[in-house]
Amino acid sequence: MQKTSRRNFLKYAGVGSAIAAGATIPAVEQLFAERTGPIAIRAIGGVPAAPLPSYASYVLDGYIDPVRKTGTLTRTVLAGHPDAVSAIALPGLSQTVQVTDVRVMGAQILVRGNIVDRSQLSTGEQSDVEITIDRKGGLVWTRSGANEMKLALQP
Amino acid sequence: MADHLDAPGLMSPNMDARIDVTDIYAFQAPDDPTRAVLILNVNPLAPSLATAFNPAAIYELKIDTNGDAVADIAYRVRFSDPALGPQTAMVHRATGAAAAGANDGGPIIISGAPVDLATTSTPTITESGGYKFYAGMRSDPFFFDLAAFLGLAPHAHPLDFTNPGSDFFIDKNVFSMVLSATKSQLLGPNPSVGYWARCLVLVDGVWTQKDRMGRPAINTVFNHGADKNTFNNISPTEDRPLFLDKFIAVLEGAPFSRNAATASTLASVLLPDILTYDYSNPAGFLNGRQLQNDVIDAELQLLTGSGTISDFVGPHTDYLSVFPYVGTPH
Repeated sequence: MQKTSRRNFLKYAGVGSAIAAGATIPAVEQLFAERTGPIAIRAIGGVPAAPLPSYASYVLDGYIDPVRKTGTLTRTVLAGHPDAVSAIALPGLSQTVQVTDVRVMGAQILVRGNIVDRSQLSTGEQSDVEITIDRKGGLVWTRSGANEMKLALQP
Repeated sequence: MADHLDAPGLMSPNMDARIDVTDIYAFQAPDDPTRAVLILNVNPLAPSLATAFNPAAIYELKIDTNGDAVADIAYRVRFSDPALGPQTAMVHRATGAAAAGANDGGPIIISGAPVDLATTSTPTITESGGYKFYAGMRSDPFFFDLAAFLGLAPHAHPLDFTNPGSDFFIDKNVFSMVLSATKSQLLGPNPSVGYWARCLVLVDGVWTQKDRMGRPAINTVFNHGADKNTFNNISPTEDRPLFLDKFIAVLEGAPFSRNAATASTLASVLLPDILTYDYSNPAGFLNGRQLQNDVIDAELQLLTGSGTISDFVGPHTDYLSVFPYVGTPH
């Protein structure tokens, strides 16, 4: 399993804080303000990652419930780079994550879950998933395969 | 992703899988060395995104016979409206200055050719005046580990693939247009030709190019963001003025990291984006492109300078030895 260590987690938090002045960030932060029920999440990033041009968009979509520590998130690859993303999901590349734990740590939310449907796993891929949501930075960090994915949180 | 879903306006309302070129091929007929074959494939993931060819589009196969990146022969395929009955195809052949234009002119060489959307193993072929023509759904002949390229597979980063790879396209279909004739009839008397294909639709009464393709994966790998659509909309003669410097910059940067001289040479080979083909030579890619050619490995090795880089997936096993050569759809 590709664990997010505490050191990495803090690194993400640092990165998020450093870019907290982005224009869309207040809107993103507003999404989480004073929320006690389920929170809708949508985050998007280009794949492959820079420096190669993005051919498609990696989209994390769903909800988490910090109180019940549950939720469902879907990881989908849509045709088109993030600035021109389509609704066309590339078949066989979607995964559904059942959330098993949600921990709020200041501006960060650490989400753990599992890909329950093993048929959605590629060869050698682990079923457990860790996702870090940086509310101030408007970023979401996760792993796919061996790659660390940095996604922009959508307001 | 040879050219699949490379953004012929992926954002609504312009997205139209029917005119999204996925691949083109040019090769000597494996069952008759006197004949050549041109293929234009469209409609990725068929039939999930579209169930018919676009009756309002021109599908054009362009042949440059004198090396000036301007078409001297053009095959223009038009389709009937599927709302009026089973689709049929008509093929025009334009030559000379007429071939370079954006229209559907030129003498008709094929008419009333039935579009074959069946998944049976017997394709519906139309023959006329020495030409053989097929239009319909076929197995997508392209092969590539797309998940690894996108960075979604374990232990894989872009250009660092895992052995064995996983072929995303192994069970996918496309819509194919396949045209064959004797080599000189199809491609002209000069055996050294260039081939590219494009799709046009009417915009405000003007035929407008929405997608085009020469060599595989060029637009996908080299162009960022809005440049993808710009590249799709221009003609090969505009490639070097508009994109040569950008291609050089990509080649000099990570992950290719080629020196300036090599990057400049490679970019000049890749542009204009035309599939060069010497029909006197039966060899495949980079000479034309055969269905079974591992174009991704060849391009990865060309771009990186590594003789061993591979995505570790190989040709499909469903190619036919006879016309239309592209396999039975899944």
